[in-house]
Amino acid sequence: MPRLLLILALLFPASAFAELEFSDAWIKNLPPSTPVRAGYMTMHNPGPGALSVVSVRSEAFASVEIHRSFMQDGMMRMEPVDDLEIEADASIKLEPGGLHLMMMMPKEPTSPGDEIVIFIELDDGSEQSLKMTVVE
Amino acid sequence: MNKSSIAIVAILALVGGFLLSWYGYSNRPIELENGLWFGEQARALPEFELIDHRRQKLTRAQLQGQWSLMFFGYTHCPDICPVSLQTLSDMVKAIDDSDVTSALQVYFVSVDPQRDSPEILADYVSYFNPDFAGATAELEKLTPLTRSLGIAHALRNKTEGNPVYDVDHSAAIVLINPRAEYAGLFGAPQNAQAMARDMTLIVERNPL
Repeated sequence: MPRLLLILALLFPASAFAELEFSDAWIKNLPPSTPVRAGYMTMHNPGPGALSVVSVRSEAFASVEIHRSFMQDGMMRMEPVDDLEIEADASIKLEPGGLHLMMMMPKEPTSPGDEIVIFIELDDGSEQSLKMTVVE
Repeated sequence: MNKSSIAIVAILALVGGFLLSWYGYSNRPIELENGLWFGEQARALPEFELIDHRRQKLTRAQLQGQWSLMFFGYTHCPDICPVSLQTLSDMVKAIDDSDVTSALQVYFVSVDPQRDSPEILADYVSYFNPDFAGATAELEKLTPLTRSLGIAHALRNKTEGNPVYDVDHSAAIVLINPRAEYAGLFGAPQNAQAMARDMTLIVERNPL
């Protein structure tokens, strides 16, 4: 029995099981002539180790990046976040006016109620998918 | 209710009416929940000429006789601009006095004239509210207005022929009174319900 556990542990290292939990994932709809959308969600890392999101993609957009809005010199600015780390047993909220998914060039016009699948790649090479709902 | 309490109510109503009429001047002090009211410090706007979402001129003279709320941004802005316009849209819906909403015009002024044509602005603002107006102008025509309102804006990483760039911009919503004076400011992040109460107070105390 101990040997079986050891083999299982070798076959499935803990990181292969590391998964983020997503909730409240939504995209603000905009008219078809506007080529960008922002996406928001809560990402929870149930542990045991820290996880980083290194890339996001979606078949429905030409590109998706994690951006952060922040105030500097009295102006709102945006900067890309290349590596979004979430500590073990912690959550990060992507919300209006802060961290968000910058989703560029939708391949088709979006409408409220649409569900858009995105893929999130973690620093251990694993990838998770989730559905985001387009909201008016 | 007995006779004396009716009399007290009547006196209070008279006093209240007197106070209201006393406040019926523009620029009297008002305490806002979500913004700053400049009162006597309201400043006249300079002359300017923008082009609106219907390809008509928008000048200082056209702001006279109405209350205007102006937000400066650009349509390629994914986060802050949709949030602010949605807040303005929710604010208008939250005002239940139609005299207030009819005295109020919301403008989204693009500080990215190269990408934001009047047609794109028309599409964009009407998504949030069919009565919202869009406007823009070449930067040299825009700057006198934005400077007078303390609205900073700057193109970031803009290179020749590159369509992908950001525009940094102030996220405040500015209030212009019916004399076309800069009369107040709602700093970010704005709250639609509080702004609705503030705008109701401002417009009701300063009838057109």
